Amino acid sequence: MTTGCVFDIREFTVHDGPGIRTTVFLKGCPLRCAWCHNPEGQSTEPQVMSSPAGTRQVGFEYSPDELAGRLNRQSVLFLPNEGGVTFSGGEPLMQAGFVAEVIDRLEPMPVLLDTSGYGDERDLRLLLDRVDLVYYDLKLIDEGSHLHYTGRSNRPILSNLQVVSRSGVPFVVRVPLVPGVTDTDENLAGIAQAVKGLPGLVQVDLLPYNLAAGAKYRAAGMEFRPEYDESQPVRVNTHVFLEAGEKVRLA
Amino acid sequence: MNPRLEVLKQRVRDGEGRALRRQEPVNILAECEAEHLSWSKRAARLTVRQCEAETPVLSPEEHIVFTRTLPATIPAVYAADEWDHLTRGRTLHELGPVSNICADWGRALSQGLLGRREVALASLKRYGDEPQAVDFLEGAIETIDAVLALAQRYAEAACRMGREEISEILTRVPARAPRTFHEALQSLRLLQAVVWLGGNYHVGLGRFDQYMWPYLKADLEQGRLDEGAAFDLLAEFFISLNRDSDLYPGVQQGDNGQTITLGGVDRKGGTAVNPLTSLALQVSREVCLIDPKINLRISASTDLELLTLGTELTRKGLGFPQYCNDDVVIPALTACGYRLEDAREYAVAACWEFLIPGKAMDVVNIGAVSFPAAADQAIREGLLAGENMAGILNRVRGNIAEQVHDLAGAYEKLLLPPAPYYSVLMTDCLEEGRDISRGARYNNFGIHGAGSANAADALAAVEEFVFRDRSVPPAEIIAALGADYEGYEGLRVKLAEKAPKTGNDDDRADRFLVGLFQMLAEACEGYGTTSRGGILRPGSGSAMYYVWLAQGHPGMREPLVGATAEGRHRGQPFGANLAPSQGVQMRGPFSLLLSYGKLDYRRVCNGGPITMELSDSVFREPESVRKVALLIRAFAQQGCQQLQLNSVNVETLRDARIHPELHKNLIVRVWGWSGYFCELAPEYQDQIIARHVFAAG
Repeated sequence: MTTGCVFDIREFTVHDGPGIRTTVFLKGCPLRCAWCHNPEGQSTEPQVMSSPAGTRQVGFEYSPDELAGRLNRQSVLFLPNEGGVTFSGGEPLMQAGFVAEVIDRLEPMPVLLDTSGYGDERDLRLLLDRVDLVYYDLKLIDEGSHLHYTGRSNRPILSNLQVVSRSGVPFVVRVPLVPGVTDTDENLAGIAQAVKGLPGLVQVDLLPYNLAAGAKYRAAGMEFRPEYDESQPVRVNTHVFLEAGEKVRLA
Repeated sequence: MNPRLEVLKQRVRDGEGRALRRQEPVNILAECEAEHLSWSKRAARLTVRQCEAETPVLSPEEHIVFTRTLPATIPAVYAADEWDHLTRGRTLHELGPVSNICADWGRALSQGLLGRREVALASLKRYGDEPQAVDFLEGAIETIDAVLALAQRYAEAACRMGREEISEILTRVPARAPRTFHEALQSLRLLQAVVWLGGNYHVGLGRFDQYMWPYLKADLEQGRLDEGAAFDLLAEFFISLNRDSDLYPGVQQGDNGQTITLGGVDRKGGTAVNPLTSLALQVSREVCLIDPKINLRISASTDLELLTLGTELTRKGLGFPQYCNDDVVIPALTACGYRLEDAREYAVAACWEFLIPGKAMDVVNIGAVSFPAAADQAIREGLLAGENMAGILNRVRGNIAEQVHDLAGAYEKLLLPPAPYYSVLMTDCLEEGRDISRGARYNNFGIHGAGSANAADALAAVEEFVFRDRSVPPAEIIAALGADYEGYEGLRVKLAEKAPKTGNDDDRADRFLVGLFQMLAEACEGYGTTSRGGILRPGSGSAMYYVWLAQGHPGMREPLVGATAEGRHRGQPFGANLAPSQGVQMRGPFSLLLSYGKLDYRRVCNGGPITMELSDSVFREPESVRKVALLIRAFAQQGCQQLQLNSVNVETLRDARIHPELHKNLIVRVWGWSGYFCELAPEYQDQIIARHVFAAG
């Protein structure tokens, strides 16, 4: 039995899926997005967050039984209220084996996978077999820009997108709008082309820029240095998606 | 809201009506003494003279009138020495007068005061040979005539000012049954304001959408009103209730008990939700004032639409509606001896407690058991005596029973002054020739168990570290508590941060929470019948006790406690109602509901809500608002009893401490009621700021 490292279990997360739900944030992510608002989710190791309020450990090891047990206690709340559990991160694909073991121990309840799509295809398939809905991030369509702003190529992400689409699991594509970076007409049009007509695509969610993105860096002992101007309003171009025949909304 | 209503609202906020109040209260003592009046007649004379001394005030913008022009001070009906003689050896509840009950407004409206007068006259004949009944009924009739005369003077003043409509309305009501929604609101306004004039307070308005709906329905059906006009009338009525919201001279401003209860089921158990239920929620959202405080009765099967409407109101940050779960409350009341049809009619008193309008002379809050004191004394003495956890819990049980006995014992000598006018408005006081102060169908006392989370956490910490992992020797806990943790900071942090905590769905702590309320219920049940023929109803509210029990208050009957074993320093306030101890790490709203779902609410029938603060950021998107509505439904499905859900922004509260002038209209839920943050004493402001706030995830 594998254990997993979790940096937060948040109840009543209103942005992570339908109904009332709890989100499990898995620690560790292969990407280093410049706009990441959960910097404590990047490292795979437990760490200490320090603030004027004191210090606290972030990242605890859970066994699948332990985590599933805790989530199962809440299933009575989820089931009649359109809710369930979301596995997010960090990047849950990095701990796919653990997540799969947790899901296997869950009482029947809707499970949502919130992923960057960056990961091993076998890990993705392992989870696709077990979840009911996928939130799939697409950030930048240009490989060079992707490498620049996230530290990784987007090739595995684009190829995994096809895997998700062919899996039969419905999915939502989520695009974080970052001023001057992801919100350009060119990028959004490229994303629209990439998702156009994909089987299983429910809709595209455009996520407004999170102005609190940099809030936790100091406490995590890191520095937030965006190359873009945070104060610029993001451009919300829904047109390109509608033109591609896809449902789109500003989340 | 239209400009006229905005003007009325602004005047209320500026206290313009209050500036019209005369300085000196009327003096009625001399005549009471000269005529050797009975107490009952004195109480009636008080209402009569107060009504006579009122000066009609009509502003051109008003369509529903009555502005109090008498001071908040209520004239004495007995000289000080006589009063002492009268009350010696007796217990007065709070300020003394009958308070915190709810009239049978539906009956008073539909019969009109002339109808009530006929009832009184008939009873005078029937009870003609019972001097006490005669004395009461004569006084009641005097008050009725005084209110009718006051209405007449208002009608005449309106006529002089060319306000024919108002004049006509006040010629009709409250004398007779209203013919329209407008007349019904005007009648209610006057009937209720006179209760305050007589010195009674916490004047609840009961099931407003039930007794008012027939009038509105008829207007809508017959085309006398459209929805917009109904909205405006209701908004004006709500605004008018705020004109004198300073009258309650008790603990904190705003705690005036002007509550309404909406929704729920009817006497037969069918749904009682009607269009006025929604309209009242919508109007309250637009008016955005602290009165009336709204309670919404729901169940696991309530429409999500209604819950969403409630959430839209919560989003405004007014601290209401408060939700009551009929699935739990009604069976609890019947288990306490209430008739099923009556139980279905429950309304909420000033804060949380369940009352049957018109039929209850319950004293819903005779005091609080200090769970922290009960647990703390048990922990210190039990550890000193070398006892195990079972021994300590036995002591807790004994301490709780002793506190219940002390509180209830004091109220065996309860003295309630007569309230002839209030009696006119009750269901069968006139019918039976008996003043409400002498009792009604239900005459129960409520005792709340306060500080439950802190006490449970203290017990859980002791069990965890003294008895389970044995990492802390008993002597160290005793010494640390005695020293208020001075020199024991390491231990304090361990107790505060490493021990299991109530509200996290952790049975290691929650089992003590459940146990405390069981013990309270046992103690209340074991007490038996009181001298007023009622029972003790255990509840889970905290009222001001979250500050008093921690910091003390002159004249309080409850024990004060020092540092406690959950790692709390002496003087730190306790959590409100059913809420976790302040400052502990929380898992979230779901665990909170699961924890509090473990209580046996059938035996805790006095009310007291789960109190949950959500960051205002949760309410930003319509989709999230709907999710809050789902959360409320989950509360009902879990079999919890009462929920107080607040939308707060802690930064705003902090700023209001520094710049009160910028936040005059900032409203917060204080305990069972909402008030203006800047009008609160600092210790209450601090307690509110220190509550757990669940952010949007």
